[in-house]
Amino acid sequence: MPALSASDAARISRRSFLKTATGVVALRVLGLPCPAAAAAPERPSALGPVPGVAAQRVEGLAKVTGQKIYARDFHARDMAGWPDRQWHALYIRARSTQEAFLGLDLAALPPEATPTRVILGSDLDPALFDAEVQFNRDLHVDDLLANKTEEQKKAAKGGSFNLPDGLSFDLLVMPGTTPNFLGQAVALLLFDSLSGYRAARRFLAGDDGIVQRYGPGAGPEGTPLPDQPFDPRTLYVKAPGFDYAGVDAETYTREAPGVQARIRKSLDAATGLIRQPIRAEMRAMDPMFMEPEAGLAWIDPSSNDMQLVLGTQSPDGDVRNIGSMFGSAGSPIPDLQGVTLHSCYPGGGFGGRDSSPFSLMLALAVAFAEGNPVRLAYDRFEQFRVGLKRHATSAQGTLYAHDDMRLEAVQLEMSFDGGGRRNLSPYVASLGALCAGGSYRLPMADIHAEALHTENISGGSQRGFGGPQAYFAIETALDDLAAAQGWDPLALRRANLIAEGDTTVTGGPIEQSLSLPEMLDMAEAHPLWAERSAIKAAHEAEGRSYGTGLAMSLQAYGTSGDGMVAAVHLERDGTLTVQSDAVDMGNGSATTLGVTIGPILGANAARVEMGGYRLFPQTGLSDDSSNPKRWHDPMWTQKGTGSSSACLTGLHQVNTVQQVAQALLGGSLLVAAAKLWGKGPLKPEDVVWEHGALRPVEGPGEPLTLAGLAEVIHDLGLPTGALGHAYFQNQWVEADYDTQGGTLRLQLDGLAYYHGSKTAPQPIPRANGQYPAPETARYSRYVWAPCVNVVGLTLDRATGIVQVENVLSVLNAGHIHVPELVSGQSQGGVAMAIGYSLLEDMPPGMEGPADGRWNLNRYHVSRAGDVPLKTRYAPGARAQELIILPPPPGSPRVGRGIAEAVMCSIPPAISNALRDATGLRFASLPITPEKILEGLSP
Amino acid sequence: MTIRLTINGIGFELPDSRGSETLLDFLHGELNLTGTKLCCGIGVCRACTVQVVKPPSLAPTPTISCSTALSTLDGTQVSTIESVARDGQPDAVQQAFLDHFAFQCGYCAPGFVMAARIFLSGLQAQPVPPEKLEAAMMEAIGSHICRCTGYVRYFEALRGLAEAVNAGEAIEL
Repeated sequence: MPALSASDAARISRRSFLKTATGVVALRVLGLPCPAAAAAPERPSALGPVPGVAAQRVEGLAKVTGQKIYARDFHARDMAGWPDRQWHALYIRARSTQEAFLGLDLAALPPEATPTRVILGSDLDPALFDAEVQFNRDLHVDDLLANKTEEQKKAAKGGSFNLPDGLSFDLLVMPGTTPNFLGQAVALLLFDSLSGYRAARRFLAGDDGIVQRYGPGAGPEGTPLPDQPFDPRTLYVKAPGFDYAGVDAETYTREAPGVQARIRKSLDAATGLIRQPIRAEMRAMDPMFMEPEAGLAWIDPSSNDMQLVLGTQSPDGDVRNIGSMFGSAGSPIPDLQGVTLHSCYPGGGFGGRDSSPFSLMLALAVAFAEGNPVRLAYDRFEQFRVGLKRHATSAQGTLYAHDDMRLEAVQLEMSFDGGGRRNLSPYVASLGALCAGGSYRLPMADIHAEALHTENISGGSQRGFGGPQAYFAIETALDDLAAAQGWDPLALRRANLIAEGDTTVTGGPIEQSLSLPEMLDMAEAHPLWAERSAIKAAHEAEGRSYGTGLAMSLQAYGTSGDGMVAAVHLERDGTLTVQSDAVDMGNGSATTLGVTIGPILGANAARVEMGGYRLFPQTGLSDDSSNPKRWHDPMWTQKGTGSSSACLTGLHQVNTVQQVAQALLGGSLLVAAAKLWGKGPLKPEDVVWEHGALRPVEGPGEPLTLAGLAEVIHDLGLPTGALGHAYFQNQWVEADYDTQGGTLRLQLDGLAYYHGSKTAPQPIPRANGQYPAPETARYSRYVWAPCVNVVGLTLDRATGIVQVENVLSVLNAGHIHVPELVSGQSQGGVAMAIGYSLLEDMPPGMEGPADGRWNLNRYHVSRAGDVPLKTRYAPGARAQELIILPPPPGSPRVGRGIAEAVMCSIPPAISNALRDATGLRFASLPITPEKILEGLSP
Repeated sequence: MTIRLTINGIGFELPDSRGSETLLDFLHGELNLTGTKLCCGIGVCRACTVQVVKPPSLAPTPTISCSTALSTLDGTQVSTIESVARDGQPDAVQQAFLDHFAFQCGYCAPGFVMAARIFLSGLQAQPVPPEKLEAAMMEAIGSHICRCTGYVRYFEALRGLAEAVNAGEAIEL
């Protein structure tokens, strides 16, 4: 294993080993690179002195003062121990999928723009193409793949390393073959000077076709073929006595087509059912996070360790894939010993940095940089050209209802444009299929969703993960149904609300309080809805068209099985440090995790380290899926860690940190307190934090400050920190752990205690574990963040321009940890949804960003003038009011997903409002002025 | 010909041959001042906003550093986000943004800070009628793009300062 510098060793957040074809590659994830870490201010008071309350973002000062915290900020000169020189990488991108790429002709480049090295696909060893790269997300979707026979998998195997499970297209197009998709890299140019790189960029800006040659040649290689689906596809067939969750995968695969045929036949034959067509089209959307992807890489010659500086939402997956890629036979780095990721704050994410191919492209560049550090930094044109998108989607089907408003069935075909790479597209389609059931009780469902391979820019994980497309389809159809039947749209929804005890379209049960009727009541009573006719009349009296629309969503969060890990340390000075595997994309995860321990441990964290250290490997657990004992092995877990998203913070990460804090309280703090007070064993309910000190609820006992307790704990050798791993699959795994404070029952499947050192915790074997039933993975999702949105808008019929005047969001967000973060997330969701609905227009093919000429002058996102800026509704003003349901008394102090929950039902609410204003259905997003004018024209 | 300018109070003399280089590239590549951010690179999003004073006028103006050539900055005084906090202590604008949780990923924050400071300086010099303050704020920061927050909290943070400054309250900028 390569040696690390002392400073890096101190910052190790995770370390694991990957067995590859050529040996073992060590994988590590570190925090921010040294200069920034050193510059990061030690501000114990950043979160504020009130336990559980955040005064500001924990990383806020670094951001608002312009410190180096983003990957783009770093150059080799900033990295301790790196050479003070740097190469620059530039990829040339495919401009055709109709002709073969024949090679480059760089003669046109000015002399000062001549690259130092040019790498083509033919420079890669063919053996390298066999490396495994995995983009996994959902247990139940992955199970579909696992159930394919080995022969099928082999037959599907192509010849590349950039796609998982045998679906493969080359990272660099092989000369003489046709590119698989627009924007696929055809060549890597490396420059040993910044001036040369800039000169080349300037010359190639807007048209790198000038150096590319195309002509007759071989067709595209790899599978699937164009317009064929990526595996697996999702089919949710639900009928009385049969559903996806109710049977095993094999039985379902065998029987579902027959049940589907019977459903269709019975619906076709049914008399008295109302049939409402569902038809919706949505363009792709760019996440347009503010920092274009950028990163640094270097292979340390002393250790053959690949060092990467990145801002990513999926650090574990990125380093694992890179380790796999370069650990395979034929690797251009044949004796790679390790991959170390310096994890930076991403400048926005929204899913666009989740499993992004950028990290692979950076790693590929450094493999050919002749030992030099190399920087790959997309500009905005390139980010538009190749960055992961929200999928363009078409949805068509039928909603079946009885004449008493009861919904009977939904039949829906959803087609997601997966673009070039598979990425997470099948998983997005799968969740879209689940969301197509909306917030409603549906006795029957026939929902098919697939992600197609096309020439377009790859789709990926984006805020809502298939939900925005699905809710747009179902919620606009519901309004059309209501309008056609003369029903009140709100009453139609109320008549069909799903509730605890019902099942989703997968057949998975709803076991969480949703409070949908109360939410609809609130929306109905709000003046924006209750007085909509009067508001409309007032606008129309002044010559403006006005409409009101309502829509709701039941956004699932998490996946079908989520693993999280966190640590809490008590320093000798009484300050607390929280470490988590999560990444903070700006959503406030770090801040939330920092304050969530406050009520338990009497103080907020002085430090929060995201992608912190001592993570999964230090728990002693293994997530080896081939372990036959599975949960019977007390050191086994279903899943180590996954990608980071905002929606995982509110419940999953928060609960994990809380449980770890409870472990530290019960296994250490209370032991010390009992000793100091001369009492027997203490339980959490025996004590209370008051004015920064712990005191007994009953009986004598001097109040103990955290600093005083910490000193005793450190002196007595009691645990100074706790490390816990949690797993959620419909329920938390919970188990007993024997500690110095007695047996603790915790919602953790792994626990370890630190004693002074922060590098070698002592695992505590779990006992009496309660584990999820395997079949629950087929529920698909278990927890929900419902939202009802009401939108009021005006329309200028002369120009087709829409202005959103007011938004009301009624959100069931669970327990709120930091109200400012929740409302901020909601406001961001509103702005993004307005853009998605009305502004963000991205054509496919070379008419769109794949031509390399798209930027913010052509792709318009919401600006301040596009969104209501006030936060309380008042007649005549523009506001977005957020009403958050109070959590039920006694419910756990955990939250639910936020921004995606709010944004999912705003697009259909906007379309429904336009229908109210015009009588016309605009079912194609974005609803541009051109489309509106066309619709209004006689 | 030589291009003479100051950046955060430090003087620079550059050969005319560097005139076509953008200010942002110079800040990043030469000075390692990376607090000013690149987002679109074509002057639309305003994430790269810095403050420029061109004597004899003392009025600071917001300038898009990604699209401003060094040749146009001869004789100017440029201030970047790195010049704002003093001894690590945020200025009034930065503190207001922190207090209001105005930003999330924070990548756009330096541009908003610089634009807001320039706006408040203008208000100090020439207050506006209260009923025009909202429109003035929109003029000052309404073109800046933020993808995370939906702008509400930026405006809330700035509104408090703007009302105070417009009413004659002294705020050090």
